[in-house]
Amino acid sequence: MNLKNISIALTVLVFGVIAMLFMQKGNYVNQAREHYEATTNKSFKGNSMVLDLVNNGIEMNKSTWAIACGALQTVRTSQDMARLEAKFFPATKGNMSLSNKTRRFEASSANVIVANFAKVEEDKKTGVKSLADLQSVDVSILLGNYAAAAAASDDGADEEGAEE
Amino acid sequence: MNFTLNFLDFFKLKFRLFSKRLFLKGIFMDKKKMKILVVVDVVILVALIIILMTLKGGYEEQAKRTANEQESAYLEKNTQVLVEQWRSVDQYSMAWKLVYTVLSGAKSEAAFKSALATIESDKDARFKQISHLYTGAGINDAVQNGIYQKAGLAEGTILLKNEKGTKEVACGKNCVVKFSYAKGKLKNVDYSALVQYNLANSLKIEKPAEYHFE
Repeated sequence: MNLKNISIALTVLVFGVIAMLFMQKGNYVNQAREHYEATTNKSFKGNSMVLDLVNNGIEMNKSTWAIACGALQTVRTSQDMARLEAKFFPATKGNMSLSNKTRRFEASSANVIVANFAKVEEDKKTGVKSLADLQSVDVSILLGNYAAAAAASDDGADEEGAEE
Repeated sequence: MNFTLNFLDFFKLKFRLFSKRLFLKGIFMDKKKMKILVVVDVVILVALIIILMTLKGGYEEQAKRTANEQESAYLEKNTQVLVEQWRSVDQYSMAWKLVYTVLSGAKSEAAFKSALATIESDKDARFKQISHLYTGAGINDAVQNGIYQKAGLAEGTILLKNEKGTKEVACGKNCVVKFSYAKGKLKNVDYSALVQYNLANSLKIEKPAEYHFE
């Protein structure tokens, strides 16, 4: 009887161990899968975010460059500049400084251009002052050169000027 | 009839004896069988435990290895997209700077050549311009440096075509700027590709594939 019990217990044990044998593979596979999924998903999310952010950054950057390069070819007065700005950024307006004879356009803190004009013109009828004769467009900030940009706009704070 | 009965009786007797022998043998064998069973069980058990231990190491090692292999293959592929984007942004930035320089400076073909050479050789300025765009987009320095370590700057020149009167410059993935000169003077710069530049269609990060245990 004792022997019988032992043999039954042992047989059960044998089947138990066989079951473990099959299960342990599954365990390791699951562990590995979890690790793989955690790592790759993190990378997927992180890198997709970088890709999208940079692509969005390019969207704004290219439009700012387009205004700068467009201005060099077509702009004479600050009104022309304002029209060009509105073409690319309908919701954002540039800041005109009559004392510095500049018009600063800031699409975002990283996308800034400053148009330099030669003189201030005044409309005889309306008395509205504007800038004329575009001399240059400063793209130092677009080039990442903040030092040069700061030096250029050193004299006097920007003041709101009349436009259009 | 009689014969048939005897015949049946004979079989009945035979069957009874046979089953009795079987029964005895059964009881006798039961104990012996049990012993054998216990011995066999113990042997199998030991063998199984050995197999279990051996396979355990094997499975663990294989699972770790395949997961690591597949992970690094994916990360490699994934990072490559950012590397390509970085290099494209380098070309894009140089192209804008060149267009700007050509439009704001002297209009000769010689001026184009020197502007291009100056822009391409100033690697610090190139990095600064890319980094500025990335910072503006909200990518921190650590991530930028990570990409820069792998990507460096775009290799070679961006000048694709350099004929008298026509110059073509690469401005990133699938982007070309055209400069036309007539009698050595700048006639036109076609940078519409730059204005419409969009990397979202050409660069994509694939979702990770399912893990498979080989």
